[in-house]
Amino acid sequence: MSVLGVIFGAEFVRRLTSRPFIFATLIGALGIVLIAVLPRVLGGFGADSGRVVLAGERTLTTTARSLLAPDFSVTAVVPDLPAKPTLAFLDAHGKASSAALLTRDARGIRVTVYARDPSQFRSAFARDLAPLQVALATGVPVAAVRSHLSVPVDVRGVGGPFADESAAVAAKGIAYLFVFLIYLAILLNAQSIMAAVAEEKTSRIAELLVATVDPTVLLTGKILASAATGFIQLGVWIVVGVLSGNAVTTMFANGSHGSGAAQAAGAMGPLAVSPGVILGFIAFFLIGFVQYSVLYAAAASLINRTEDLGSVAMPLVFPVIVGFILAQLAIENPNAGNVVAFSQIPLLAPFVMFTRIAVGAVPAWQVVVAIVINVAAAALFAWLAGRVYRVGLLLYGRPPSLRQIVATLRA
Amino acid sequence: MGTLVLSQVARSFGNVVAVRDVSLTVPPGTTFGLLGPNGAGKTTTMRMILGVLVPDRGTVTWNGAPVDGRMRRRFGYLPEERGLYGKLKVKDQIAYFGRLHGLTAPDDERKAAAWIERLGLGEYANRPCAELSKGNQQKVQVACAALHDPELLILDEPFTGLDPVNAEVLLETLRALRAEGASLILSSHQMWQLEELCETFCVIADGTVRASGTLPELRAAWPTRVVEVQPAAPALRAVLDATPSARALPQAASPDALSYEVAADADTAALLRRLVAAGDVTRFQRVEPSLGEIYLRAIGEVA
Repeated sequence: MSVLGVIFGAEFVRRLTSRPFIFATLIGALGIVLIAVLPRVLGGFGADSGRVVLAGERTLTTTARSLLAPDFSVTAVVPDLPAKPTLAFLDAHGKASSAALLTRDARGIRVTVYARDPSQFRSAFARDLAPLQVALATGVPVAAVRSHLSVPVDVRGVGGPFADESAAVAAKGIAYLFVFLIYLAILLNAQSIMAAVAEEKTSRIAELLVATVDPTVLLTGKILASAATGFIQLGVWIVVGVLSGNAVTTMFANGSHGSGAAQAAGAMGPLAVSPGVILGFIAFFLIGFVQYSVLYAAAASLINRTEDLGSVAMPLVFPVIVGFILAQLAIENPNAGNVVAFSQIPLLAPFVMFTRIAVGAVPAWQVVVAIVINVAAAALFAWLAGRVYRVGLLLYGRPPSLRQIVATLRA
Repeated sequence: MGTLVLSQVARSFGNVVAVRDVSLTVPPGTTFGLLGPNGAGKTTTMRMILGVLVPDRGTVTWNGAPVDGRMRRRFGYLPEERGLYGKLKVKDQIAYFGRLHGLTAPDDERKAAAWIERLGLGEYANRPCAELSKGNQQKVQVACAALHDPELLILDEPFTGLDPVNAEVLLETLRALRAEGASLILSSHQMWQLEELCETFCVIADGTVRASGTLPELRAAWPTRVVEVQPAAPALRAVLDATPSARALPQAASPDALSYEVAADADTAALLRRLVAAGDVTRFQRVEPSLGEIYLRAIGEVA
């Protein structure tokens, strides 16, 4: 077996059986389940805030009760409210979240809401009761007004990548979820490489290793092993995401709530992700993984104590976070000028270009240019990191200054 | 089996010159002692042999060809700064380094088991290295360095941190490796251990070679010898004082003895005859310089 194979095999087993890796995989899976489930569950909690006590003349409350049905559950209907309704009053009437008093004046109906959380309800009451206001003003029956106010809207694609609204929403959800996976995998694995390099340096085994094998081969073996375990980790997360997304979709099949993430989880059926997106995901995950891993490894080779890991990791966490945030912007505006530019820049492209591929029609040449630039950048980073790593592993004592690092690169 | 040749190698770190100019030859099967004070450039020299550091100038060759990665896999190295994967079991650690040096299954595990047995590590074979004492960790490192039957084994301060029993185990192991034909390069501050093991020596100070050769060669180059005479009788002292180039040393081997330094080429047989003629001589000894004395003089600690 080649040296690279020996290092790859040893690192692969070591990482796969390491507690931090198992822990990170489980935590990540739990996070994905939460992302899939929470919006739905929170939507369910939202139903509690829709418990309302209605007060006012019977004709108004009867009509209002039917109009409010989609958003509210009426716990009690009373002729009038106390002058100042209290929490005890709401508790006594079906633990309602609010009490709404419907009155009538010259301009029509007026609703006064007494709520546990006054930040809610205004728009829901205004929207739901609008047909009643129109009916009172015009004499047209409420049912007719309601029917007229409902405008059927059918959104269709115009030759873009998505045939209809649901496909576009699903694509955004997929982009969101997959970029999150790239973010998580890069951050966790790159930091894990960093910890492994730091361990080799601080345990002083590094000198024995670099006397036996070329540091570049050593670094390559580590990164390949880490990429392999990273893919396994991603595989676990994707399976968990698909299963929990499908489970949530089934469980809340009749629910009306849902964020992009929940929709993504729901849309994550095996056929919902196109081969192009999968290829883009693999390509940009790998590119990003290599770019960050080599830099993290080089940084780790410069420290003398594991306590210093945080300080050298900080500057490298920054572009990961920026890339992730820019990807969120790219979901809504995949072809904005600045987004197109960011999608070419090394360290950011893995997040931004993948997002653009997932949510829009990216011209093929832009994808090719991004791959060329970023593969070249990854190679450059690997070369630079290899030099720093070779020297850094044997540097003990005071951490080297930036000038010394630059001198090392020039040497 | 091969010959290692360093030719005028030099290496600096920024403004600090670690190795100024070192040339040395290690013939096949030789045990080579590298001596020098701390900071002399021994470790840097060893690192250049192993390709861990690239010389700024000069060449390192093995059998006439520049040392490359493939050759280095046939070398073994015990660095001064020891390190192991703490969580890895002893047997797995040793076998892993065997594989890094080109061993394949089942040789890696078979040889690891043999070395565990050889170094008395049997009861620790399945224990993580971090749980071992420092001395036993060092023995694991020796096994990692020598498992693959290296043609050249470089050991930087191998006896540091070992108790006398473990030092003897290591000494015996190195003797066995020497008998098996491996070339050894050792650095140590324990002169007697080097003198016991090595055939050839090189003293380095300030990054340059101050002296090199076999012990007889180094002694031959030594300018003086010590002559010890008993008893410390005035008549004998007078003979010694009258001898050209003889210089009384302040400390004799015993209160009843006289110690004089004479020129290396002085006719000690004639001196003995003159002493016998002057009085009763119970002991006359021409003392050869020790490795320690040669070392101290070479690095400039003594005149």
